[in-house]
Amino acid sequence: MLSRTHFIYISACVAAFSPSCLLSFSVAAMQVTEAFKHAFLKQMLLGFQASAVSTNSMGIQERKNAIKLSADVAMAVFRGSRKWTRGLIAGLSEKQQNRSFLQLILGEQYERRLMKPCYSSWKIPRCRTIVRRSLRVCCRRQKKKKNQSGVLARTLVEKRTQQLKRLVPGGESMDGLSLLDETLDYVLSLRAQVDLMQSLLTTVESSKLRSHSKRTLTERKASYVGK
Amino acid sequence: MSSRRARSRQSTSSSRITDEQINDLVSKLQAVLPEARLHGCLSMQVSAAKVLQETCNYIRSLHREVDDLSERLSELLATTEASSAQAAIIRSLLK
Repeated sequence: MLSRTHFIYISACVAAFSPSCLLSFSVAAMQVTEAFKHAFLKQMLLGFQASAVSTNSMGIQERKNAIKLSADVAMAVFRGSRKWTRGLIAGLSEKQQNRSFLQLILGEQYERRLMKPCYSSWKIPRCRTIVRRSLRVCCRRQKKKKNQSGVLARTLVEKRTQQLKRLVPGGESMDGLSLLDETLDYVLSLRAQVDLMQSLLTTVESSKLRSHSKRTLTERKASYVGK
Repeated sequence: MSSRRARSRQSTSSSRITDEQINDLVSKLQAVLPEARLHGCLSMQVSAAKVLQETCNYIRSLHREVDDLSERLSELLATTEASSAQAAIIRSLLK
């Protein structure tokens, strides 16, 4: 478990290394900016501490879920208040076991969110038959003008949009333009999350190898001296 | 993608702005997708349905990657001592 001194050390590091200029979450060319990296890893560390990931008593699946939860919360917390981040937190809160963790990490922010009505669960009522029927009616009205491929394309877009709504957290209650906007933001955040987790994995792996080789070297030395 | 019917109900000026914005977002989304380089920047008129489909596939693959990375991290941390795990995390913070 992290002691208080560790936490102070981390905060100092983050403060020392974060750039003084405003963080820019550039849509056109998303690079993993230093501030994002620090904030994300700091959140993950807090998450690990909160869910006691480093204790050996956890099973692999349990630990994996805790890590994934920490990563998702870190991603949402950093990005701030957006439709998909609110949808993500709401989705995570639906599971009873996540609530105490979310409470710990988000603090009073979380309680405020619970007070607000949950918009993410509001789905735009959409009956497929009605949509198809209305498309057919529209097609009949402008039969001469419209070409078949246009109708097909629109139905396809409709289908794909439904799929996307299911994938993006909180997507069910989004429409048209905002869905595209949120999707773009979500994809960029996911990419950054993957990059950071990858680099974290590499660091842990390399540090393990280093400590392992150090240990074998010490053991070899000790056995040699003993002879 | 709001249907053309809904858009035609709005005034023509607002629907023109909305169309532009939609096209802008769709092209931005296309630029973000990994196959953007394969399709080439030559194809200006990529169908919206294709972009949406690619986006769905991409999001699914990213979810799978996060899942896989979480599992690998979990396996690693299982056999690592608490102090060295946290030291490793702090080290990547400092890099």
